[in-house]
Amino acid sequence: MTRPTLDCEQVIAQIFDYLDHELDAERVDAIEHHLHQCKSCFSRKEFEQRMLAKVGELRQEAVPDALNERIRGLLKRY
Amino acid sequence: MAVSREFFECQVLDLLGCLHGVARRLTCHDADAEDLVAETVERAWRARDTLHSEEAFRSWIFRILNNTFISERRRQAARPQTASLDCEEEDDEDGFSIFEQLHQPFLLWFSTPEQAFVDGLLRADLERALARLPEAHRVIVVLSDLEELSYAEIAEMLGIPIGTVRSRLARARGKLQKILWQQARAYGLKAAQPGGDAGEHAQRPGALQARPNDHGEGS
Repeated sequence: MTRPTLDCEQVIAQIFDYLDHELDAERVDAIEHHLHQCKSCFSRKEFEQRMLAKVGELRQEAVPDALNERIRGLLKRY
Repeated sequence: MAVSREFFECQVLDLLGCLHGVARRLTCHDADAEDLVAETVERAWRARDTLHSEEAFRSWIFRILNNTFISERRRQAARPQTASLDCEEEDDEDGFSIFEQLHQPFLLWFSTPEQAFVDGLLRADLERALARLPEAHRVIVVLSDLEELSYAEIAEMLGIPIGTVRSRLARARGKLQKILWQQARAYGLKAAQPGGDAGEHAQRPGALQARPNDHGEGS
């Protein structure tokens, strides 16, 4: 099987699909091949990955006790 | 399918943190968020026969949460409905990236300006920027980047095609970066210049932190 060759524009256009694990194996392979060869696209990938991780740190904290009790109270009625 | 009470309870309690997290971002109000979660659980229980498979529980209940939020908003006659989650905004944020503002290809240091920018962001910076996103963009960032739902799950939850999820998410992330960039510019960060001026600003620890109200907050 021949690996499709991607240019920088094509890789950057799919960088979020790649980071979000939304691409098939063949496309992932083509992108990773390009990333191994292209410092600029690799740097971009690293940056976007770091930014996504930073945003992910906002993920919700613990559930407030009052809500926890309220929902458990609801569930007991079912 | 028939959902047992035990299965329903177990799933709801497992997802409670996620449901509350999304509800908080949607409503931007703690008490409203708790009401929204409670109303969602009640509606979900009443509609439990509409769940097609146990594996679909998460996207199913998130969809109920979303629909509950939208119908609640529509009931609030005093509040304009211009920020519907169904809206697809046309804007020019598509493709904006802080990387393009800061990246300097000839720097070979262990920490690049764009990486230093991200590392210097405080939780408060991100919270503020996220809150400034239009509702349709904020919710898709929350579902994808905080709650880690797949594009297919988000499409199911919002009732939109996967292609729309993809394009809206890209726009939302671009807009989020643009807001963060504007916030940073307001505090004195400069764009990349030949000669590395931005590099010095961006790599200085706390490039975004040097302001009075943020002392003591962790990143």
